[in-house]
Amino acid sequence: MEAYRQEIIIGAVIIYMVFCVITGLWAMRRTKNSSDFFIAGRGLGPIVVSLALFSSTLSGFGFVGGPGLVYSIGVSSFWMIVISSTGYALGFFLVAKRIRMIADVRNCISLPDVLAARYNSEAVRFLIAVTIVLGVMGYLATQILAMAVVMQAILSGTVMFADIGLVTCVVISSAVLIFYCVTGGIIASVYTDVVQGAIMMIAGALILLTAMSVFDGGMQEATSIILADDGEAMMPFGAAGIMASLGWFFVFGLGLAGQPHLVTKMMMNRSISDNRVILPMSLFGYVMAALLWVSIGVIMRAAVIDGVIEPLALPDDAASLFLSIFTNPLLAGIVFAGLFAAIMSTSDAFLNIGTAAIIHDIPKAIQGHAIQNELFWARIVTVILAIVAASFALYSHFEDATLVAILGAFGWATFAASIFPVLAIGLNWKGATAMGAVAAIVSALLINFIIQLAGIVLPYGILGGLIAFIVSLVLFIGVSLVTKKPELDADMEAVLNI
Amino acid sequence: MRSNLIYVIFATVLLMAGILVAICLADTVPNASGSAHAQFNGMQAGGDGAARLEHIGGLAFAFQALLLLLIICLAALGVAEERRSTEFWAYMGGTLLVSFFVWWQMYSGHQAFLETGVTSYFMGFPVATAWQVYGTWLGAIPLIILYTVGFRKFIFTEEDEQKYEKLLENIAKKSEQ
Repeated sequence: MEAYRQEIIIGAVIIYMVFCVITGLWAMRRTKNSSDFFIAGRGLGPIVVSLALFSSTLSGFGFVGGPGLVYSIGVSSFWMIVISSTGYALGFFLVAKRIRMIADVRNCISLPDVLAARYNSEAVRFLIAVTIVLGVMGYLATQILAMAVVMQAILSGTVMFADIGLVTCVVISSAVLIFYCVTGGIIASVYTDVVQGAIMMIAGALILLTAMSVFDGGMQEATSIILADDGEAMMPFGAAGIMASLGWFFVFGLGLAGQPHLVTKMMMNRSISDNRVILPMSLFGYVMAALLWVSIGVIMRAAVIDGVIEPLALPDDAASLFLSIFTNPLLAGIVFAGLFAAIMSTSDAFLNIGTAAIIHDIPKAIQGHAIQNELFWARIVTVILAIVAASFALYSHFEDATLVAILGAFGWATFAASIFPVLAIGLNWKGATAMGAVAAIVSALLINFIIQLAGIVLPYGILGGLIAFIVSLVLFIGVSLVTKKPELDADMEAVLNI
Repeated sequence: MRSNLIYVIFATVLLMAGILVAICLADTVPNASGSAHAQFNGMQAGGDGAARLEHIGGLAFAFQALLLLLIICLAALGVAEERRSTEFWAYMGGTLLVSFFVWWQMYSGHQAFLETGVTSYFMGFPVATAWQVYGTWLGAIPLIILYTVGFRKFIFTEEDEQKYEKLLENIAKKSEQ
């Protein structure tokens, strides 16, 4: 079996991609209008929503960057994932019920739609839509690039595709992504998410078992090797220190309820009562998949320190090298398919919300009404958005990475800082005003942009995203308290009272 | 309580902002956020943990304690005001105490390691790290239980559902007219 390692891995990835294409064709017949395309007609069952929610949370970053971070900075990066249980809980307490109600009452198909209804403000709709488009471009470009790099690494190991170029890999991977997103919209996206989520959970569990067998003394031997080399790396605050760790805890924990691609999924369930089972199921899936992040990172750092393997050229090589050295080919095939699943499940969610912002929200904010024939334009814009992001990814890879780095600042932390106060607090506090919302969004964007552009390094590893988040919270509540309490429409008043 | 809760949240966030300012103004130490590993390219090392906490340890501890309080207050904000009974607040208070306990065990376990250089292990990790990994992950279980088991009592009661259905009916009637 070992002689066919590369063929087995390629076979697993091809089977997965064929599945995505078939799902796209199947979902196309169920997509009749823009509501089906963007929010699946609000008719999804709890298992589908749970798996879609957690698989969209854990992107390629979780499968590639996560183990790389543990290799690089030790336990510091654990803070990004151990907060997930609190993050999911807060997301459901603060957002899940009311976002679904407002979507129903006002027939909303996007997050900016919901917030425009809540604040009765087109300015809020516009700012959130622009934030989403900027963030989506950065996220999508990095996801597409990651997908192509992994594909190139797999294919170049075979005789037939030894010289395959990155551009070809971008074209192949983007084509599959575009096909199922365009044909089936969010319906294809969430049903592929179900399989993607299942693969990720299985991969996480199997990798943990494999990782525990690398050293005779299991995980404890690995952690004691790291501890003996550098005590801080294996202690709770890791190599990056206490403030970086607590900053991640804050931004990743509270920020989960501010991620547009996740909260939009909370609008898609058939019944509000399903939320009581969606929360534990999503969290269980996330924890299972995140086992891969922790276990690969710890084992690879210990293996290098102990001289079992050579030092890695790059920390991000941790996952792929672990798979090629320590796992059998079948497991490697499952995990590589899981990696594509993680990247694609996040990418399709971003394509969907980015398209909604462009064809639905920005026109509505500017001209007061949506464009005609939304479904047709949704499909066109999905293709254009994916092509622009793919071109952008290639340009940044070959020419200049600065632009992607800047838009990369509009990642998780910016979404968290600009959307969390406005959405999570705004849906639960009638005193929140449009002025407060605008102040929070603008401050979050400006602070993140300035810190990124000016290359400001804060003492003790304090994150720029943490500063932006706290300023945004202070301004949102403070400005709302000092501005005139809004007159809510009767239906909004009723929703906020329930 | 609703009118007070947003002020508690606001005050907590302001205190956290103040602590961040104090940390930014505190004396710095070399490599406070890690340095390149002397031997392995791509790895960072933490170095002298006691020195890194010397000027900001107490502030960082207070920052995290306030964050745990903020999480509980935010979760409470997500529950309708009339459902925030004494029983509810007692439960949330207990949840906060559990979170504080986990945080204290983690922080003090780290301090003990810095003083002695030795640690015991629990399920594969040094004890302080085990509190971080298992304690923090499991520390949210009381909130998840409240949401799932107490869903019909605190989050979305039968009465809420009836009100919501009535609202949808009224909207449907209006749109027909």
